[in-house]
Amino acid sequence: MEFDFSPVIEYFPTLVQGVGVTLLIGLAVAVMSIVGGQIVAVISLYTRRVVSWPLRFFIWLFMTTPLLLQLYFLYFGLGELILIPAIVVGILGLGFHYMAYNADIFVATIRSVSDGQYEASRSLGFGHIRTLIYIILPQAFYRALPQLSNNMIIMVKDISVLSAIGIGELVYVSQYAISVTFRPFEFYITIAVIYYLINLMMEAGQSWIERRAAYRR
Amino acid sequence: MDFNLMIDITPLLIKAAWVTVDISARALFLGLFIAAALVALRTSRLAPPRWLARAYISVVRGTPYFVQLLLVFYGGPAIGLRLDPFACGVMVGAFNIGAYISEAMRGAIESVDSGQNEASRSLGFGRLATLQHIILPQAAGLMIRSIGVLAIILVKNSSLVSIISVVELTYQAQRLIGSTYKPLEVFTLSALMYIVIIYAVMGMIEFLYRRATRYTYR
Repeated sequence: MEFDFSPVIEYFPTLVQGVGVTLLIGLAVAVMSIVGGQIVAVISLYTRRVVSWPLRFFIWLFMTTPLLLQLYFLYFGLGELILIPAIVVGILGLGFHYMAYNADIFVATIRSVSDGQYEASRSLGFGHIRTLIYIILPQAFYRALPQLSNNMIIMVKDISVLSAIGIGELVYVSQYAISVTFRPFEFYITIAVIYYLINLMMEAGQSWIERRAAYRR
Repeated sequence: MDFNLMIDITPLLIKAAWVTVDISARALFLGLFIAAALVALRTSRLAPPRWLARAYISVVRGTPYFVQLLLVFYGGPAIGLRLDPFACGVMVGAFNIGAYISEAMRGAIESVDSGQNEASRSLGFGRLATLQHIILPQAAGLMIRSIGVLAIILVKNSSLVSIISVVELTYQAQRLIGSTYKPLEVFTLSALMYIVIIYAVMGMIEFLYRRATRYTYR
């Protein structure tokens, strides 16, 4: 069997389009999961059990079931009740999944900021909410950065799963190209390399963020 | 919610859940050996084996599991690698999780104070004897915890082998939806089964952790 990469070159613009969709979804999910994770963490730490326990149940539910099943559930299961476009389901599904993981990290880092910080801030006249916003959360956020960026690297790879519900990201467009050209090996090798390059860039970004964050802890 | 349907399909889903457990257990078993070999290569005194292991771990952790599955299953035949779906799921799962586990093992071993190693060596233990009697018992607790997290990820990732047509829990659920048109019921039931499996895994991790840390006071 000889390898022929000319179909890959022919379909390269399509693959680039797929990379674009992958990166856009990644950005949307990153913003949603980090902001949402922060909110979920604060609510589950600082409110009464009536509010925080359902949220903890939500985190637990997303952490104990596979992503693919969650996507199917949201797309086909809820699709029975209301029809949501695949791209919205994909972003929400992945967003909720990683929101749960990020919330878990934020809970741990908020707890790791010492009680002395809270007491000092209150005794200087900050209110409870202001103490949280100006003193506790910024410190917790910088401590969470290494693990957050780790999660985001894993998340970008999980975007490939969204092809199962028909979103035109990198894997989906290459599956289409394969069905036309019958060259699975060449295309899958190519997208593996593309993912690896994206990953290398994200790892470089991670170490940059970590160096910056080290000043502010 | 159609409860009669849920009761009817339970035996089928339990059978499929067993396939999920089977494929994950085999992949974990093989993956542990692959991880041990990778750790041996990474801590080798020669440079080329170290580079080889680092490159392997970096590539496997840098590409999606989903793409690895597709590459081996659909691309494998092009280089003469023909596997049936179940075997392919086990192999890719093992080689994937092996890379992650090797990092967990190395981390646990390195977490043991280097003075322990030096003291043991100066008392006349060899490299292997030191590892076996001094380092590993102290690293075991942390190692079991971090491998346990990876085992849970492995079980959840096994849903992806449905894409190469292994009839495990997720694939069976999809088939049942194809014949019953009741996605909500079927997916709820299969989610419950995943939760049961993962709870069992968590219980086993806890048991092994307690056993491994019986004699350590930390």
